[in-house]
Amino acid sequence: MAASSDSQASAFSAAELEFLAEDEMIEIVPNMRMDPLNFVSGDFGPFRPQIATQVPLWLAVALKRRGKCMIRPPEWMSVEKLAQVLEAERDSEKFQPLPFHYVEISRLLFDHAREDIPDVYMVRSLIEDIKDVRFHKIGTGLEIISKERTYALRLKNLSAMEANIVRPFVTRALETFYKLSGPEMIQESDHLSNRQPQATNRGPRRQLKDR
Amino acid sequence: MAKYYDVDDILAEEELVPAVFQHTANGIGLFDSSDDTNKVEAGSKVELPFWLVCELYLRQLVSIRVPPCFDKESKTREEIGADAAHVDLRSRCPYFYELGCKIAPLIGDKTIGPFLLVAFRIRYKEVLIKAHTLTLAVAPKYLTLLTNEEAKLYEAGQSSIAAFKKWRMGGPRLQIAPLLGRKRKPTG
Repeated sequence: MAASSDSQASAFSAAELEFLAEDEMIEIVPNMRMDPLNFVSGDFGPFRPQIATQVPLWLAVALKRRGKCMIRPPEWMSVEKLAQVLEAERDSEKFQPLPFHYVEISRLLFDHAREDIPDVYMVRSLIEDIKDVRFHKIGTGLEIISKERTYALRLKNLSAMEANIVRPFVTRALETFYKLSGPEMIQESDHLSNRQPQATNRGPRRQLKDR
Repeated sequence: MAKYYDVDDILAEEELVPAVFQHTANGIGLFDSSDDTNKVEAGSKVELPFWLVCELYLRQLVSIRVPPCFDKESKTREEIGADAAHVDLRSRCPYFYELGCKIAPLIGDKTIGPFLLVAFRIRYKEVLIKAHTLTLAVAPKYLTLLTNEEAKLYEAGQSSIAAFKKWRMGGPRLQIAPLLGRKRKPTG
């Protein structure tokens, strides 16, 4: 509670997440000749026309904006793969494995490299759908916090952006639940009918749509 | 005193709690201004802020009566039992949970803890749904029902969603410094 008066302080802003996502590697096909670039984060290149190479997303976007390369969309950003993921996402309770920064990467590519993505409209709407389904799952999943004693949440395969959005809310809610169900608040007495009998331990870790 | 610097913790202790004086006390007539004697008779009921009641209670100068919003026979309990999500807790006690947490161990009422937990559980769900769906135009009406704690929770959920939406709508992107713009026209 003490530090929670600034609820946003613990979270990244969306733009900061985008910045972090720009370190993800992506394949580009240059159309110019250039020596390898030696950065603190590593060496990239050499760049030869029509020879694919791996660079960080920020470099890919910078080159793309100067018309020096073509970006190869990552494997998971194909219509078939995304359709599969969407299907699985709808069918199962679990979150499907997607790149940690899928929201940010797709946004960056849609902004800067639309013409390099085959079926860009299809891909875009698929990603939107996947995102909506997952957000809905998170929303319904968070309701279970209130059912039993919950002290921790396990969110497997949650992406950076999704985690960031729910973080302020979830941490606050868990804090309050923790405070209200502490040992000095809840003793052995069970006067209210709608409470389950309490175990003496601190309760199980709740799993939010997982495995 | 772990929350010494927490403003909300301080404000929560400002909440009035009904108390009954056990002894006649001189010189504090301002608590009970029924006459000019400048004293409080034993057995008179006064409403004092929690921080004062707490100290007086520990010295056995007053006895605490359960504030109406936590009382077993009170309307609040019944309403929480009926439909917790729509009870206007803010007007009853803006620091409902905090005050409850403080007062329960003091007076040893074991029913307050479970009562608070049940209330928060049900109201949490409502806050969760509202935070994700409500538009800003409708929100103020709903906010008036929430206690301080809940309102903060609501805002935490709401603002992160709003920030994300803003980012996706493509708010102001990185801007090029005017110096660079002069040098070279941005391509594409």
